[in-house]
Amino acid sequence: MRYLMMAKADENAPAPDEKLFAEMGAFIEEITAAGILLATGGLDPASAVRVTSSGDEITVTDGPFAEAKEAIAGFALVEVRSHEEALELARRFRRITGDGESILQQVFN
Amino acid sequence: MKDVHSTVDAVWKLESARIVAALARTVRDVGLAEELAQDALVSALEQWPETGVPDNPGAWLMTAAKRRAVDRIRRDRRREAKYEQVAHTAGNTDQHEPQQDDVLRLMFLSCHPVLTATERVALTLRLLGGLTAAEIARAFLTDEPRIAHRIAGAKRKLAEAGAAAFDMPDGQELSERLASVLEVVYLVFNEGYAATSGDDLMRPGLCLEALRLGRLLAESAPGQAEVHGLVALMEVQASRAAARTGPDGEPVQLHEQNRGRWDQLLIRRGFTAMLRAREAARETGGPPGPYVLQAAIAVCHAQARTAEDTDWAQIATLYEALARLLPTPVVRLNRAVAAGMAHGPRAGLDLLDALADDPALRDYHLLPSVRGDLLARLERHAEARLEFTRAAALTRNAAERAFLLRRAAGLAVQDTGGITATGPPGVTLAEAARDFLARDDLDTSTVRSYGQTLRRLCRGLGDGLPLASLTPGHVARVFASAWGDAAPRTWNRHRSAVRTFAAWADLGDLTTDVERRAEIRTPVEPISAARLDALLGRPGLALRERTLWRLLHESSAPVRTVLSLNVEDLDLADRRARTAGTWVTWRHRTALLLPELLGGRTRGPLFLSDRRPGPARTPGEADLCPETGRRRLSYERAEYLFKQATKALDPAGDGCTLRQLKELKDRG
Repeated sequence: MRYLMMAKADENAPAPDEKLFAEMGAFIEEITAAGILLATGGLDPASAVRVTSSGDEITVTDGPFAEAKEAIAGFALVEVRSHEEALELARRFRRITGDGESILQQVFN
Repeated sequence: MKDVHSTVDAVWKLESARIVAALARTVRDVGLAEELAQDALVSALEQWPETGVPDNPGAWLMTAAKRRAVDRIRRDRRREAKYEQVAHTAGNTDQHEPQQDDVLRLMFLSCHPVLTATERVALTLRLLGGLTAAEIARAFLTDEPRIAHRIAGAKRKLAEAGAAAFDMPDGQELSERLASVLEVVYLVFNEGYAATSGDDLMRPGLCLEALRLGRLLAESAPGQAEVHGLVALMEVQASRAAARTGPDGEPVQLHEQNRGRWDQLLIRRGFTAMLRAREAARETGGPPGPYVLQAAIAVCHAQARTAEDTDWAQIATLYEALARLLPTPVVRLNRAVAAGMAHGPRAGLDLLDALADDPALRDYHLLPSVRGDLLARLERHAEARLEFTRAAALTRNAAERAFLLRRAAGLAVQDTGGITATGPPGVTLAEAARDFLARDDLDTSTVRSYGQTLRRLCRGLGDGLPLASLTPGHVARVFASAWGDAAPRTWNRHRSAVRTFAAWADLGDLTTDVERRAEIRTPVEPISAARLDALLGRPGLALRERTLWRLLHESSAPVRTVLSLNVEDLDLADRRARTAGTWVTWRHRTALLLPELLGGRTRGPLFLSDRRPGPARTPGEADLCPETGRRRLSYERAEYLFKQATKALDPAGDGCTLRQLKELKDRG
């Protein structure tokens, strides 16, 4: 089963230091090698565009947006055996990133 | 509590390979390494519900296992030299840190040549996938004790193979050992891929296990083109998982699949793996291996936006190369399919007909199914229909059977519209076989024997084959594939069954292309007189057996002759009997036993079965004792009893045959 893990942006968090980069790099390398991580990426907040539809009308609003706390800063698509495995990966991820929030959802097959 | 359990299980599955691999390197014993890791797991289950799951559960387990290793060593230090070495290395904590090659080494170990294929699979899933014996059993549709036994046996063999088994192979050995690892991974993948929607989820889960193992292997051995080839092959095949079955679970063939349902993420991963394979191949040189070729074929299919866009010429070329490396019947079958698509049905049919005699394909429904397809494209509808019906009879998948029968029926519609519909089709092979077996002048064992032959004939040629078109060539083909390796006796039995059937059906001689085989009697190793005495001296041995065995020994007469003896044939005074035109003679030991066995009987079979015959089996009058109502002892039963009694004498454990008694006369 696949899970999408999304890390939320946190404007109060300190800028990532070298230690975080190194640890995250090693983590990503490890779960890639183990065949668990299928795709991952960080998201550029400046490029955000909002597309809203209402009736026949479609509105396009350029970002960045004020409520940055709700924005997604990065994602990882993982292939796991169970919900618990996904949860365990999310725990390890959060341990590296420090304070903040991730959302974990199973991808329908 | 349950939550912690499932967390521990998840952590274990994620981490166990590295933990066991690191421990195995230091203690040089897979069984012990796994035991230590399991002990650590048990303490996690005990402690985590109290303390909560630690921050780094993997490291926690590793540390706990390491500590157990040290404890164990202290305890066993004096007992075994093996632990001395462990004690030495265990003192040095660096030794326990996971190393780059650990997991790869563990894979090589799990797929070691001293193990059988099934042991390799079980051990790999156990040690590298962290699956329990119960999970493996569910995935392979077998029971847990069997898997547990298999894993234990594998560990024992590895322990016997000694420390050298732990060494990393290199050079020529590396590629051989690697081939064995790839084989195991692909086997696991295919087992999962073959699962159907009704199956336990553990089965399709095997695909994920195999993909993970493959990806892990690709990271551990990046220079090996075949590893990337296998990964590419599995990724691309897995990408079609959702599209390869229809709403009712029926298989959807590749060219009919909805390509919009193919998983593009996996396809892209497959392409990437393929590029890495090419890169690795460029560096090492040499022709592409079987996995790279199969991956290239899979990639070809994945690149086609529609079935019509498929580059069949390229695929046919790749299959040609693959068939040279790996001329298995299935590869050759696929090659014929590709040639049929690339160069027309005639070309495909030519390649296919060379496969018709292959015993490996005799029950493989895809052979007639592909043949039917090619024949249909050549507008040979009647033959095509027959092949589809045959394929339908062979497949075990109900949805596929329905699909094949629909194809057969579709052709029938076209035929009746044309000019080929002329009169009734006549009797089919299956109908004739049924009528033949329903004759009332055959006894049950003959019907059973003939039935075996004719059923195989029907399966090989199709129930619907018009009887009139049955040729000696057809018969020869079935014989070659079904009984090519059988004993001459079996071959000749089926041969005479076909001859009888042909004579009954007025078909002439159908066995002109099936030669009678010379029956060689297997040499008989006699049982020594001393052993026979010991055997006969056993307490509780029935009088009948004692007499029969003694008589066979002393007379040296054929077993059937002795069993055919009747009481009225016996001349007790002269120690001989006349039967079927020959004399059977014996000596004093048999003479001592016979009167007791007769017990006053004056006629009927000498050796009687224990029970009266059931109502379903009515033996002829000659085989029935008029005094007791019992039947004559059969050869099969007598042989069975002797085999049971002599199991301990036979090194193979099968027991001895009655014929082995007979040869003793000269030495006796």
